[in-house]
Amino acid sequence: MACRRGGGHGQPTLATLSRVSPGSLSTCRTHTHNICMVSDFFYPNMGGVESHIYQLSQCLIERGHKVIIVTHAYGNRKGIRYLTKGLKVYYLPLKVMYNQSTATTLFHSLPLLRYIFVRERVTIIHSHSSFSAMAHDALFHAKTMGIQTVFTDHSLFGFADVSSVLTNKLLTVSLCDTNHIICVSYTSKENTVLRAALNPEIVSVIPNAVDPTDFTPDPFRRHDSVITIVVVSRLVYRKGTDLLSGIIPELCQKYQNLNFIIGGEGPKRIILEEVRERYQLHDRVRLLGALEHKDVRNVLVQGHIFLNTSLTEAFCMAIVEAASCGLQVVSTRVGGIPEVLPENLIILCEPSVKSLCEGLEKAIFQLNSGTLLTPENIHNIVKTFYTWRNVAERTEKVYDWVSMEAVLPMDKRLDRLISHCGPVTGYIFALLAVFDFVFLVFLRWMTPDSIIDVAVDATGPRGAWTHQCSHSEKGGENNEMSKTR
Amino acid sequence: MEGERSFSDVCGGRLVLQCRYYSPSCREFCVSCPRLSLRSVTAVTCSVWLAAYGLFILCENSMILSAAIFITLLGLLGYLHFVKIDQETLLIIDSVGIQMTSSYASGKESTNFIEMSKVKDVVINEAIYMQKVIYYLCILLKDPVEPHGISQVVPVFQSAKPRLDCLIEVYRSCQEILAHQQAASASP
Repeated sequence: MACRRGGGHGQPTLATLSRVSPGSLSTCRTHTHNICMVSDFFYPNMGGVESHIYQLSQCLIERGHKVIIVTHAYGNRKGIRYLTKGLKVYYLPLKVMYNQSTATTLFHSLPLLRYIFVRERVTIIHSHSSFSAMAHDALFHAKTMGIQTVFTDHSLFGFADVSSVLTNKLLTVSLCDTNHIICVSYTSKENTVLRAALNPEIVSVIPNAVDPTDFTPDPFRRHDSVITIVVVSRLVYRKGTDLLSGIIPELCQKYQNLNFIIGGEGPKRIILEEVRERYQLHDRVRLLGALEHKDVRNVLVQGHIFLNTSLTEAFCMAIVEAASCGLQVVSTRVGGIPEVLPENLIILCEPSVKSLCEGLEKAIFQLNSGTLLTPENIHNIVKTFYTWRNVAERTEKVYDWVSMEAVLPMDKRLDRLISHCGPVTGYIFALLAVFDFVFLVFLRWMTPDSIIDVAVDATGPRGAWTHQCSHSEKGGENNEMSKTR
Repeated sequence: MEGERSFSDVCGGRLVLQCRYYSPSCREFCVSCPRLSLRSVTAVTCSVWLAAYGLFILCENSMILSAAIFITLLGLLGYLHFVKIDQETLLIIDSVGIQMTSSYASGKESTNFIEMSKVKDVVINEAIYMQKVIYYLCILLKDPVEPHGISQVVPVFQSAKPRLDCLIEVYRSCQEILAHQQAASASP
């Protein structure tokens, strides 16, 4: 923690870096950050958050920052791993409680997280997903340690039922003293600001992106004698699988040359199987089960129309991927979906069986009359919309802002918690914050920062991997591990 | 580089690293921890005894006191004989192999030898240990079936746990010998 003291005002990043790595800054830009991404969700688990973290980290590494990822252990995969370009991932042995989210006691993760933050000389904590307990833990501890914090919210919530009332309260507590919040769409921003009672000025909107080279159209893979509707989503309530089970028999009766391909796995798969059984549609409805990310494109290109039946969605990656593969998208008008694609590429419907059937019929009519854009055209339009490099650039700006800001000192933080989170919760969490601070002081006494080894950087301005890749820079003074001399 | 140097372990304790260079192809590294101090023995004994007296006052059974004597004695013997390692030695000889010896406080020694033909490389790795993330030196063993695979990872200086600066010292020396050995095995 030596690097963090005295860096409260002015340019903490510069002060930090010059103390940690004197002399190595001349070749680099002045604003490089040591970023730590924290989330319960990372590979080998599959999903939007996971690929978001991975792609964003890769692009930030490309831009010269040091990035590490902290997540919990997945089965046998624990310890420290390196991914492409020296992206370092800590799989911490914490107990998983529910839905791949770790159990939280708010304190038990502090020793390990503090050790990692100190040894990696982290300057910005970037937490992902409000479902992840570990992300909130990390935010809480980072604020205690005086590190700048950024949070990305990937999902929408309701306001009415008990569980969302509770999560919204926790989110209020967690975000009230976070430096900056990133949302993936304007709808999501509105939702987050309302749920967590935030000042909208500290909330930025940075959409997700897709890798357009992974999702290219291939019109020869599909059979033009039949019309194929593709659905790729987890088969859960949130993704509207119940709607899908209403749509399938209705449309199959109406159109004889209509097929469905459904990719994904989940608890609602059983109702789709029931529908298939009852209406004898085994040859026309194919259930593929869980898909690996690399197979998604091969499934998408077999179809003409992509159907998305989500009931809530902050930013739908699946429809961008489908449009990038050249499919006509039919989707429910919920959450941030209307912002995602321009009107000529998407048909929006209300989340009901009737409206979705009308939307699909419209798409089928357009397809039969030949008024749809060709897959190549759609791909060329979509590929300019969402790129990871753009996302990384915008995220970098957020980091630059945040690094200029001061972290709230303890007394102001307690004031903020008490005044912002209501009388009961405020005092409880203020007390917890004090406990956290006392625990941190104890840990600093047990293992002072000076006896924690500074980790050998794999990425960033002093990165051992980046230096090895580009020999133009004066590499080789700090990569004891990877070079034999 | 020959001689004694003082380092610290991951918990902040003191360690002494002795390097002995017998010949260009034979080196020995010896990491020794401070011996068991009288103070810590006294502290542990006192606390066990205090606890035993507390229990004795509560249930007034003198069996507890005699049990406490046995527990401290057996505990001390067991600790010295099975747990407390005073010295760990890594002897690396070009074209012969690597020998790791750990000597316990009681004088017991356990030795582990790895043939050079089985050694793939010596590397520094990092791992999560208790509530810490530490660096450790380890020997990678070749997989007999698959030439590029690794069958086993053998950690070195397992009980001393020196910090990175000490490990780098040992690592560099080991790599010099390994490089020498590879050059020798490649040339004829």
